[in-house]
Amino acid sequence: MKPWRSRVRRCAGALACAFACAQADAGPMGYQGSTMAMGDFGPDWSESWVNHALTTRDAFGVGATWMRSADGSAIRRLTEATYTRLVHRWNLPHAQANAWFVVGAGTMTGTGFGGTRFAWTPGAQFDYETTRVYLAASGRLYRAGGVRHDVAAVRAGFSFHEAEYDEVQPWFVVEARRMRGLSDGVEVTPMLRIIAARAFVEIGANLDGQARLNFMYIF
Amino acid sequence: MVHRHPLLVALALAGVSATSPATAVTTLAAEVNGMVCAFCAQGIEKKLRALPATRDVYVNLPGRLVAVELVEGANLETGQLAAAVREAGYEVVSVRALDVPAASLRRKKR
Repeated sequence: MKPWRSRVRRCAGALACAFACAQADAGPMGYQGSTMAMGDFGPDWSESWVNHALTTRDAFGVGATWMRSADGSAIRRLTEATYTRLVHRWNLPHAQANAWFVVGAGTMTGTGFGGTRFAWTPGAQFDYETTRVYLAASGRLYRAGGVRHDVAAVRAGFSFHEAEYDEVQPWFVVEARRMRGLSDGVEVTPMLRIIAARAFVEIGANLDGQARLNFMYIF
Repeated sequence: MVHRHPLLVALALAGVSATSPATAVTTLAAEVNGMVCAFCAQGIEKKLRALPATRDVYVNLPGRLVAVELVEGANLETGQLAAAVREAGYEVVSVRALDVPAASLRRKKR
């Protein structure tokens, strides 16, 4: 590995640990009455889920996650029902900050253990956003019997220009993510995010050149 | 009650004046905190369009403006507008009555 890559990874890892959290998305639920579908696809981690916001603060959904260790030796498959709660929102004159809680319960199968195990996945996210800047830190625990795959991530991004809400808005986003028991390193992924109408798409590649695709759509 | 707010963005962008008490109110313009993303705006717009008194809605993110044009003859209290925005998850700083349609605010911005 090139020295600068190693330095970047160490710094990102320290940042991730400082926030002590996991997977970061945009807000994990839509507005009241909406249904949100999201997907996150890479060579070692793929997940998709959908939830419905019953209130401004509560959403219920289902999801599926496939994860693989960096050396390819371990594979996990998780299916779960989820509950997402907006714990608190700070409405500022030109910004918004949110504290989220999410928990899932379901089943996990995979290599290294037989049968199906009950899995539970509590997590939290904190984000801060203006019309031009986005910061988020999140963490989620993936637990099933003796299996512990905790994920922590931080994200930072900026938009290239101001936009009306119904205009296309491109963003540059960088994510640093660490997945316990799956990869020893911190995965750093720069991505281009395009927000258009009720959807966003993120396309990028981590520093090892592995592609990443995320999407979100609100119905 | 109609609150007067010196920073109301609608007036700055559109150069329009507030209605006098004797003038028919066509649009309520709210200054909103926390409304910074497209999905925030969509949630507010959906909630406001569901109100029977609403004819049109215009949201301007950088200007923190939510404008609701009323159906002719309909009435919407500023408190009702503030409550609807609050229910969507955001904070209303002030609401002002304007005698211009939402479409003119939209055109003047663009």
